[in-house]
Amino acid sequence: MLDATMLALVVICFALAKAYAGLCDRLLARAPGEDVPP
Amino acid sequence: MTVFGWLQILLFAALVGLITRPLGGYLARVYAGEFTPLRPLLHPIEAALYRLAGVKPEVEQSWYGYALSLLIFHAVGIIALYAVLRLQSLLPLNPQEQSEVAPDLALNTAVSFVTNTSWQSYAGETTLSYLSQMAGITVQSFLSAASGMAVAIALIRGFARRRSPTIGNFWVDLTRGTLYVLLPLSVAAAFLLVADGVPQTLAPAAEVTMLDGGFQTIARGPVATQEAIKLMSGDGGGFFNANSAHPFENPTPLTNLVELVLIFAVGAALTNCFGRMVGSERQGWMLLAVMAILFGLGVGGLYSSEAGGNPALAASNAGPANTQRPGGNMEGKEVRFGIAGSALFAEASTASSDGAVNSMHDSFLPLSGGILLANMMVDEVIVGAPGSGLFGMLLFCIVAVFLAGLMVGRTPEYVGKKIGSPEVKMTILALICVPAATLGLTAVASVVEPGLAGLGNAGPHGYSEILYAYTSATATNGSAFAGLSTSSPFYNLTLALAMFVGRFLVIVPVLAVAGSLARQSIIPRSTGTLPTDRALFVCFLLGVIVIVGALTYLPALALGPIVEGLQISRGMLY
Repeated sequence: MLDATMLALVVICFALAKAYAGLCDRLLARAPGEDVPP
Repeated sequence: MTVFGWLQILLFAALVGLITRPLGGYLARVYAGEFTPLRPLLHPIEAALYRLAGVKPEVEQSWYGYALSLLIFHAVGIIALYAVLRLQSLLPLNPQEQSEVAPDLALNTAVSFVTNTSWQSYAGETTLSYLSQMAGITVQSFLSAASGMAVAIALIRGFARRRSPTIGNFWVDLTRGTLYVLLPLSVAAAFLLVADGVPQTLAPAAEVTMLDGGFQTIARGPVATQEAIKLMSGDGGGFFNANSAHPFENPTPLTNLVELVLIFAVGAALTNCFGRMVGSERQGWMLLAVMAILFGLGVGGLYSSEAGGNPALAASNAGPANTQRPGGNMEGKEVRFGIAGSALFAEASTASSDGAVNSMHDSFLPLSGGILLANMMVDEVIVGAPGSGLFGMLLFCIVAVFLAGLMVGRTPEYVGKKIGSPEVKMTILALICVPAATLGLTAVASVVEPGLAGLGNAGPHGYSEILYAYTSATATNGSAFAGLSTSSPFYNLTLALAMFVGRFLVIVPVLAVAGSLARQSIIPRSTGTLPTDRALFVCFLLGVIVIVGALTYLPALALGPIVEGLQISRGMLY
């Protein structure tokens, strides 16, 4: 039971990290009209 | 302080300086897939590994793909190490018949070694089987270091490439870092350590009869192979509980010097690798100069503080130091290393992300403890672990050119890349999650019952123990202040969370910065470009690191080591 809980924690943390990467990807997208470096 | 002590420090600095350029050049060639002397021997193995794993080395990844590969790889790593630790009593190579590791401790240990932290809430010789040490701990020391190096290389490619949608292939970078860099250096270092007395055996612990007729169990095992990568990887997790203070891990002053150089070798060389890859070695030397200055200040402060001795002891009946009793704070230090060897090791270990110890940091004087904390609090940019030190320093470079740009009203740029709002957002995200986790978890542990239950000391020293634990975990350092009992589910789980945040929530935005920069062209240098390869920028960058660190952490430090340092001079001890 405890093993399942620990493994669930790992899975949840990495799922959150993946969502965090997705958030970073959206933040990186420049808004229309924003300067694009040469 | 003694001349010999300073000579030790200078010899170490000179050795690191000497190997930086050749090793940096080697790293640059390895990651570019160019010829190296080891390539004829290792390339067939590399190619076989790709075939086995279904990796196409010529196919590169976007930053997002690179990050996902890294996250998946380490998620599997945590689960695999957790399984080894939980099942070790059923697995072979367990001559001491160690039982399975408790679930919360197994999770903490798995996260710790996969994140390159090596926080240890256990004593290795009484908890882990040889298989757990070798196939679990040591393997992850290699892989976590190679992963950190891969991230640094990806960020360098971001600076070096023009209009590229990709930043490399994570699996290729991981394999090359492990195969061409860490493995050969570890094998060479392990032989050196064995030659000077570090054991390497699968035989069980020795049972010996002592002179008084009693029996003693002397733990031993495959120490040398773990020791080499423990130091070089920035991992720092010892085979024995006493870590590099144990005579089987670090028997002589010579091994102490070898271990110190191993701690800094790859991290320092990566600065040169950076310079080469962006087309100006001078840029790399400037970064190393900033690291060297911060290191010099730290080791100078530590050595003078420890050599000065405990003011409370001097004020007691023991009297001040004299020629018969030279003084200095030797509590918690090995006589064979002395104060200089201990101060140098402590500085190197906390400045880098290694976390190995050859003395007990809890026994350092309060202000020395503050220096150790400060090293970790500035994201361990002073060389750091392989990869993480360099990308931490590059994040500060981005902040520095951003601030300089604000001052003069120009778009900031660094090594030919404009630093726009996306890069600054990602940099701040990476820099802010570490103090958020450190300070937030320290605050929680300082007030809740399970947190306070682990304290070994009262007052500001006890608080410093908690602050040190979370700082060490989020900075992926792994050294312990001792004094704090962290073998409880509360500490095991919260420290695991801190390590996870400190590693992966930093790496993801770093890779995002790499991806964003790689998409840009390289802009030519103009009269309005801030020169980042001059002494002025070194000073500016130093100021930024110190000010950002101080603004973030000074209140926390004031409550712990600073107030304790002021009180110890009045004879108040905790």
